[in-house]
Amino acid sequence: MKVVNGDRVLAISRRQAYVLVRAPQRWFDVVVWPVVDAILFGAIGVYFGEQTGTVAASAAFLLAGIILFHVVFQAEVSVATGFLEETWSRNLLNLMVTPMTELEYGAGVALFGLVKLAIGVTAVSIVALIAFAFQITSLGLALIPLVGILIFVGWSVALIVIGLLLRYGQGAEILTWGFIALLLPLSGIFYPVDALPAALQPIAEALPTTHVFAAAQEVVAGNPLPWDEVGIAAASALVLAAFAVWFLTHMLAVFRSRGYISRHV
Amino acid sequence: MSASSPEPRAAILTATALVKQYKRVRAVDGIDLSVGAGERVALLGPNGAGKTTTLMMLLGVITPDEGTVEIVGHRLPKERSVAMEQVGFAAGYLPLPERVRVFEFLELFGRLYGLRKPEAAVTAGLERFNITPLARAMGNELSSGQRTLVGIIKATLHQPRLLVLDEPTASLDPDVAMRVRTGLERLCADEGTALLVTSHNMLEVERLCERVVFMSAGKVVADGTADEVATRFGRDDLEGVFLHLAESSGAFPTADVDREAS
Repeated sequence: MKVVNGDRVLAISRRQAYVLVRAPQRWFDVVVWPVVDAILFGAIGVYFGEQTGTVAASAAFLLAGIILFHVVFQAEVSVATGFLEETWSRNLLNLMVTPMTELEYGAGVALFGLVKLAIGVTAVSIVALIAFAFQITSLGLALIPLVGILIFVGWSVALIVIGLLLRYGQGAEILTWGFIALLLPLSGIFYPVDALPAALQPIAEALPTTHVFAAAQEVVAGNPLPWDEVGIAAASALVLAAFAVWFLTHMLAVFRSRGYISRHV
Repeated sequence: MSASSPEPRAAILTATALVKQYKRVRAVDGIDLSVGAGERVALLGPNGAGKTTTLMMLLGVITPDEGTVEIVGHRLPKERSVAMEQVGFAAGYLPLPERVRVFEFLELFGRLYGLRKPEAAVTAGLERFNITPLARAMGNELSSGQRTLVGIIKATLHQPRLLVLDEPTASLDPDVAMRVRTGLERLCADEGTALLVTSHNMLEVERLCERVVFMSAGKVVADGTADEVATRFGRDDLEGVFLHLAESSGAFPTADVDREAS
């Protein structure tokens, strides 16, 4: 017996595509907010750069940070909102009584999430290039492991958020955007971690995103990719993923045990 | 074949000693239920009797505290995915997702149920219920009756061996309800599909189902043909039994009606 049925995975991806194409408001998450952020942080970088005579470096520093942040943000939001769509349209029961497994559903949503991520990051990158002459590909091959880890982290956070949605219902949907936003100040995207209050620094150090952004900042500064930071990021991302899978599995068991499907019919 | 027929049918669904407790409420209290191939069974009872919780346990959506469920020999929850390949489900109260056309919706579920090329089954289903012109309609453009028909087509695309329908004809006019009933009878007779249906329309149940299982306060309080159940409770028909059970919750005879013979 196949572990994953590819037809089901593609069917779920297609279902997600219909929603994106036919729901204009979904483009806010995918394109509008990332572009707004790119313009905002690019302009801040230019302004501070003018004060210190380092316009290009300052803008590059902030734009690299915001583009990479949108990788993890899009990876998380696209999966979590994909699940939310089923609760908004009261389609959850229909899906739960099919042969589809949780893994197939997650794979289908994540697969189309990659498409959304590509659209969003491309839009931001184009804005950064046209408006601020910053080319994200200037980071070179270092982008590959960094982006890979960020996607992995985004998916893990999405699993935790879906677990919370299963447990607490639609009242928890704000966490779809709120949970990942917590990473923004804690991950040292625009500043070194030691600029954070002392109490928050250990938390920041434990986050895989912190080490990804630290590595990216080294590369933006013209230094080689610090593989030790990449290694720490990958290891902590694996720990986070293991916790996320355990948490979602537990919440799904609670959902089935307490009959929370009644919230969605 | 009626429940009192001596000829046994292969069990498609077997639930044994199902129990579900929600905090202080025992929603289901030791239900045994089996449905044979081609059999048309109604699960009836007043609001709060435990029908929906029972259905959800049979479908693997709610985990029972005690008891077992087997569908075509596949035990839930371990073999849920394989078991669900044999099950179709539709509920009159479920909407179609917005932003998806009827044909796309049916195609999607055809694939989820394992059809490699579901287009032909979708087309045939739409034709069977005379709603081909709705193929390109969006889900939120349909009337409740049309949604119900689409739901039934969705549930039968993959020719399931067990069809579970929750209030399927609640929003259908008599003409369409009759077509649905006829279609379901034909499906069960021709393909041996077992049917388990809940409904508050007792007349509909008497016409469609050869066996009724009445629940109240989480227990099965009657199980037999409509006539047998009505006779047991000293009523003329199922409507009378339903009203009697609804009015006198908690004080029911609990013996089955001729289940041993089925």
